[in-house]
Amino acid sequence: MAAETVPVLAGVMREQRRPLVLWGLALTAVSTLYIAIYPTMGIDEMASMVDNLPEALINALNYDEIGTAAGYISSTVYGLLGPALLLIFAIATGTRLVAGQEEDGTLELELTAPVSRTRVLLERVAALWCNVAVLVAVVAVVTIVLAAVLDLDVTVGNVLAASTGLLLLVLGFGTVGLAAGAITGRRAIGLGVAAGLAVLAFMLNAIAPTVEAEWMTIVSPFSWFLDGRPLATGFDLSRLALLATVPVLAVAAAVVGFRRRDLMV
Amino acid sequence: MAVIRTEGLVKDYGKVRALAGVDLDVAEGEIFGFVGPNGAGKTTTIRVLLDLLRPTAGRAEVFGVTPVQGGPSLRARIGYLPGELAMSGRRTAGDLLRHLASLRGGAGGNRIGALSERFGLDLNRPIRSLSKGNKQKVGVVQAFMHGPELLILDEPTSGLDPLLQRECLDLMREARDGGATVFMSSHVLGEIEDVAGRVAIIRDGVIVDVDDVGALRSRAGQVVELRFSGRVDIDEFRNLPGVRDVTLDGSTMRCMLHGEPDALLKAAARHRVLAWSAHERELEDLFIDFYRGPSDRRQPEEVTFDGR
Repeated sequence: MAAETVPVLAGVMREQRRPLVLWGLALTAVSTLYIAIYPTMGIDEMASMVDNLPEALINALNYDEIGTAAGYISSTVYGLLGPALLLIFAIATGTRLVAGQEEDGTLELELTAPVSRTRVLLERVAALWCNVAVLVAVVAVVTIVLAAVLDLDVTVGNVLAASTGLLLLVLGFGTVGLAAGAITGRRAIGLGVAAGLAVLAFMLNAIAPTVEAEWMTIVSPFSWFLDGRPLATGFDLSRLALLATVPVLAVAAAVVGFRRRDLMV
Repeated sequence: MAVIRTEGLVKDYGKVRALAGVDLDVAEGEIFGFVGPNGAGKTTTIRVLLDLLRPTAGRAEVFGVTPVQGGPSLRARIGYLPGELAMSGRRTAGDLLRHLASLRGGAGGNRIGALSERFGLDLNRPIRSLSKGNKQKVGVVQAFMHGPELLILDEPTSGLDPLLQRECLDLMREARDGGATVFMSSHVLGEIEDVAGRVAIIRDGVIVDVDDVGALRSRAGQVVELRFSGRVDIDEFRNLPGVRDVTLDGSTMRCMLHGEPDALLKAAARHRVLAWSAHERELEDLFIDFYRGPSDRRQPEEVTFDGR
């Protein structure tokens, strides 16, 4: 049934089952590890450790609130490791699903099937988004469960808010990678553009407080995601809307570029 | 009605001109052979027909519409076998074929079993463990399974063993007998001769010849060998009408003859002829003539040994 209405999406999801399970397990392990050790770290020890770090590093890692559960999870799982792992997955997968499979030729039979280019592209974008959503949901569930088990001061609503932000952040760069690959037909360009922009956005957000440059937080999606402290304060729709513009614009550009160029060259 | 028609089709890749004005006219219900050396533009032409590539200039039409206009509904009428079939992954051959059928709204799904059996394809094997020949079987099955009106086959028999090559050619004949049109490129001239009605020869991005296989064969000419009782002068034969590539080895003269043998025979009759033979050239020889191109077509050996 699903295969008949969205055959391209269904096909990709079948291929992705295995990597998705492996990535889900990896993210579960990392998130569990980091959140589970929080109660064992004394607040005083943490504070003295943070005091000994240079201020620039504290700012860069958002360690200024590491004494609270929300601050700690935000600095580790949601602000650093989660985005890093999810971005690696999303950019690698997004660039492979169009440009990579076009370059290795495996897309040829799909592109010559009675399915429009727009549909191939959109269903492949949808497949990427579904994959990322599953993995972000894994992180969210692990966080919610551990917060309950360990009796941490983090509400379910705030975890959902932070997870939505994380999802949109990762979809943004993953879709930029897919789009850059779809527009050029070269996976390497997609990887370079998306990974470069992600690292740049992370760096701008990290050094902005130290160099006191507000423009850096204005242009960095990492700032849009983290500045509102979603794990402590909950949903901030205007920031989420801003984050959502990235994947939406990337898809629009990808459709325009993919429809007009020569494929399989 | 022309199923495939191209007029002055030009395709540039950057500064490289891959097609320099291809004119093709493939009629409904025929098996049309498309031959030429590697890099001549066969695959480029085919990819324009499937709307993977957009023409730089000129026009291509399939069933009366351009591939861009036709879009998905045009491709639903086509079965396509790529020249370099790339498939990978853990899923089985059956999974992939069912997926390809689902891209066609399910069309052809019910013929996967029968066609696979005909080609001895094990549907439960994972794609990535399949040999080149077995992957080619998957390609053949997916091209034919939905009973398309037009088959565009890029080197269809490559990688198949002789028995399955014949099976594949049979499948093409059956499709034609059922009213389908087949447009196939090939390197194997024997199979083109076997199955195709007309042939187009492409070289350097232009069609250099289109004709019936039979007519091409007759144009391929004959190789004539004459053994004389004594020495003869090569110049007596070199400029005769229809005679080409004259070589003299002692008292034996060899040449290529196109058309009437009258002038050659009269020239030969001035001497005492001890033995003669004339045999039809293979179609393959003709293709090699075309492949070499006009510049070096006449006497390539001379060029090679020039510096001797």
